[in-house]
Amino acid sequence: MTPSKTVAPGRLLAQVAGERQTGALVVGGHPGGAVYVLEGRVIYAESPAAPGVGELLTASGRLAGRTWQNALDRGTATARVGRLLVEHGHLTQGELELCVLGATYDAAYFALAPQDAPADFLGGATHWLGPVVHIDPAAVTREVRRRAKMLDDIFPDPRVDTEVVTPITRPPRERITLTAPQWELLVHADGQRTPADLAFLLGKAGFATIQELRRLAAAGLLDLPGVRDKAPEFVRLPRSRGTAVDAHRPQLRPDNSPTVPVVSGVRPAAPDPPAPTALTEETSANGTVYRPPRLARRKPGAKLPKEVAGEPPPPHTGTDEVLLKRIRTALRALR
Amino acid sequence: MPGVDHCLQEAMAIPGAVGASIVDYTTGFPVATTGAAPNDDHEAAAAGTADVVQAANSRSLFVSAVPHDLLEDLIITTAGGYHLLRPVHTDFDGRLVLYVWLDRVLGNLAVARHRMQKLADELVAT
Repeated sequence: MTPSKTVAPGRLLAQVAGERQTGALVVGGHPGGAVYVLEGRVIYAESPAAPGVGELLTASGRLAGRTWQNALDRGTATARVGRLLVEHGHLTQGELELCVLGATYDAAYFALAPQDAPADFLGGATHWLGPVVHIDPAAVTREVRRRAKMLDDIFPDPRVDTEVVTPITRPPRERITLTAPQWELLVHADGQRTPADLAFLLGKAGFATIQELRRLAAAGLLDLPGVRDKAPEFVRLPRSRGTAVDAHRPQLRPDNSPTVPVVSGVRPAAPDPPAPTALTEETSANGTVYRPPRLARRKPGAKLPKEVAGEPPPPHTGTDEVLLKRIRTALRALR
Repeated sequence: MPGVDHCLQEAMAIPGAVGASIVDYTTGFPVATTGAAPNDDHEAAAAGTADVVQAANSRSLFVSAVPHDLLEDLIITTAGGYHLLRPVHTDFDGRLVLYVWLDRVLGNLAVARHRMQKLADELVAT
């Protein structure tokens, strides 16, 4: 395994395809993904933002979860999961090919769209699904570029693709028109789910999901994070003051002047940023690390400073955040 | 076992067929293509196909005139040919149409529609 390097994933794909290699192109970052290549042809791709073949087939009810699990158990070791499903009559060859093609282009968009990301090529790696389709890598990268442009033509705001989906509570017009997929998205958007969550829940392609969300945003039906923050809040609650720090964000600079009047006079030195290796281990559980720096004391009765809500919370929707949001709602109700 | 390539081969065997493709109409992407395409550009043709299907399916009211009505096929007639579009109903998320370009003189619309229905059903029937 070569050390991670930051490259344009699309260029690395073209390179390994030109050398007719076999293996997996693993792209890091958010959301990242992997593109599987067999002798220079793309056979599959996966990404945490795109439901895979198994999710698509089971979420839609096309296959029972048990049937899929059976095929996984029997075919994973020999990389024949796809073929087994067809041989046992659970799927037609046409269905399997169409499903794999759709899932592959979908995941490839998320893996290859970033202009630069940490990418590795794992030579010799194969996918348990087995080769079902063989796609020209140039066609994949061309399609990725086309899709990126298509999104920007609809509504050029990439925040829509990753942020929690919050429908506005009151439509901006008397009459609005929704398509069936848009209706499904709005009904399931509960203010906690991200676009990827919705795609997995509904068994829809990740790209098709963000495409519809961008259309909804263009129609003014989504509450966008930046816009929401500008609106006046009736109850201003203090948010994280650097106590919950995203692991990948640099720690507070030690020379930071305190944001509140200090009583004790001496500001405690900020803890050293931990080594990156330790960080990755520590954060693997939920992606967030809670590292309370010793807070400067506030004078009794002193008002909270305006910039108290400086750092936006990390993009993470674990149980902690759900709980915090519930508490916030309850506090608002009390006022 | 009929796969995607077999389906397109069969489509090309329809009398008068000049080109055929399977298009994902949510993204306007040609999932599989064979034969000729208008202006020799399958990708542009697919994008146009997607626009037409979207227009008929979601932007006009034809398919909601009767409850539970469903788009079966679209026929675009030009001086030189017929362009036939038939949705392929997969149970999973795919939103696909089978597109066949027929020569106006050599093609027979009724035969082609019948054959395309069979192909679209066979592709996904268990």
